[in-house]
Amino acid sequence: MRIVLILVLSLLGCSGSIDEPVSYFNVETPRPFGYVIGDEIPQRIVIETRSGISLQPGSLPAKGQINRWLNLNQVTVKQSGRRYQIDLRYQVFYAPLAVKSLTLPGFTVQFSQGEKSIGQSVPAWTFTLSPLRELVARQTEQGEYMRPDSPPSLLANTQTLYGLAASLSVAALIAAYLSYLYGCFPDRLRRTLFKQALRKLAGLSKSDMEQALTLVHRVLNSLNGQPLFHNRLSQFYRRNPQYLQVSSRLDWFFNYSNRYFFSDGMIVVTQDLQQLKDLCEQCRKIERGSQ
Amino acid sequence: MIRRHLWTRIYSRVNGQTMIRTIRHMTLWAALAASLAAFVYSAGALYGIHHDNDLIRQLTSGKDVAVNKVISGEPELRLARAFYFQQKHRYDEALSTLSLIMDKGDRKFQAKARYNLGNLYLEQAVQQAKTMNINEALPLAGLAKQAYRQALALDSGNWDAKYNLEVAMRLLPEMDRVDMPDDEPNNQKSQLWTTVPGFPRGLP
Repeated sequence: MRIVLILVLSLLGCSGSIDEPVSYFNVETPRPFGYVIGDEIPQRIVIETRSGISLQPGSLPAKGQINRWLNLNQVTVKQSGRRYQIDLRYQVFYAPLAVKSLTLPGFTVQFSQGEKSIGQSVPAWTFTLSPLRELVARQTEQGEYMRPDSPPSLLANTQTLYGLAASLSVAALIAAYLSYLYGCFPDRLRRTLFKQALRKLAGLSKSDMEQALTLVHRVLNSLNGQPLFHNRLSQFYRRNPQYLQVSSRLDWFFNYSNRYFFSDGMIVVTQDLQQLKDLCEQCRKIERGSQ
Repeated sequence: MIRRHLWTRIYSRVNGQTMIRTIRHMTLWAALAASLAAFVYSAGALYGIHHDNDLIRQLTSGKDVAVNKVISGEPELRLARAFYFQQKHRYDEALSTLSLIMDKGDRKFQAKARYNLGNLYLEQAVQQAKTMNINEALPLAGLAKQAYRQALALDSGNWDAKYNLEVAMRLLPEMDRVDMPDDEPNNQKSQLWTTVPGFPRGLP
């Protein structure tokens, strides 16, 4: 029993996973082949530490030239809790004659825990670089073949065109609204008179007959440009001949309205309101031009 | 006192609704004026771009334009003029034009300007190397390499710059060779000749 206990305790002592300052470490690099001169090689180092340990940014390689053929263009460190993500972007400037194997140098990332310093080494990474030109390059009349100058691109006008279109449409919209406010679209207004009347009529019942009749009178007045009475209907038809087809219904309306407002004991039935709505429906079709 | 009295009279005359209507109309008129001004400005800018593009097309097709038209315009115009000079092998004028726009424009434009600058140096270096003017060719190839490296640092996807950098590197190989352990050990001899410009003319 004692032997088993000693064995277990010694195994626990060996594991040491609880005390390790770096709990996770991984270097992510893309393919190690197929690079050419001027290519950028990204390298991502992911490190997770125990709490109370912080990265010393000074231990990371400095941005700039590392050696004659290698540049470090970008160093970014993202920290989320105890996880560090270090993104390095190298750029290689080596001109090999044949496919050549090169190495990104390794370095040691330093962490500090209180006054103690802990190091985690990032291993060197080997990749191959390929040439772009053949060994005996072709010749042109000027001598060595080289890529021509890059012609200047034309200035982009897309943004200006958008600006032009936007300002023009805004101006047109404001102008249209202003002309509507100043009453420049009477025809348009006249073409929606019965539409609006129908909408209002839909909310009325037979007890609101007075209101309904006033509404239709008002609409007819607006259409006529002046108050319209039964005896002036012929003049109205002369100006708006398309309404002749509802002359019988209009006659009924004026007679009914006369009886409603000027005689006593008038009993309103639902059918009267429906007839009024039918008149407005017919007139709506006429004003829309569909009849 | 008089002003206050006047305001009171105005308020008493104009009721709230009229005030709101007046304010709404004034705002609308102001917005209309502003959008019309923006329209006129955009139209002017569009005309300017059209005119500049005509100049760029003219320069690219090999016809010179008056220098004062280029000076006042966008940096693209200067790039176009430098391109024109380069096509005509007027290297000094091309260099002085390019040096004015090195820090102008966005990254892509700067990369393009640096690539064309590299070409300017490399063309001259190749010519000098051809006539065996080694002392002239060396610094020119060095400048070309520097320009291409800057262009690639700005835009690593520029394949023409990659290719021409390799041309320049072959013309003037780097001083320190990278020796991997698995490389053949017989490159001791060739190190003596690493800085002599010239292209390999054939396999041994």
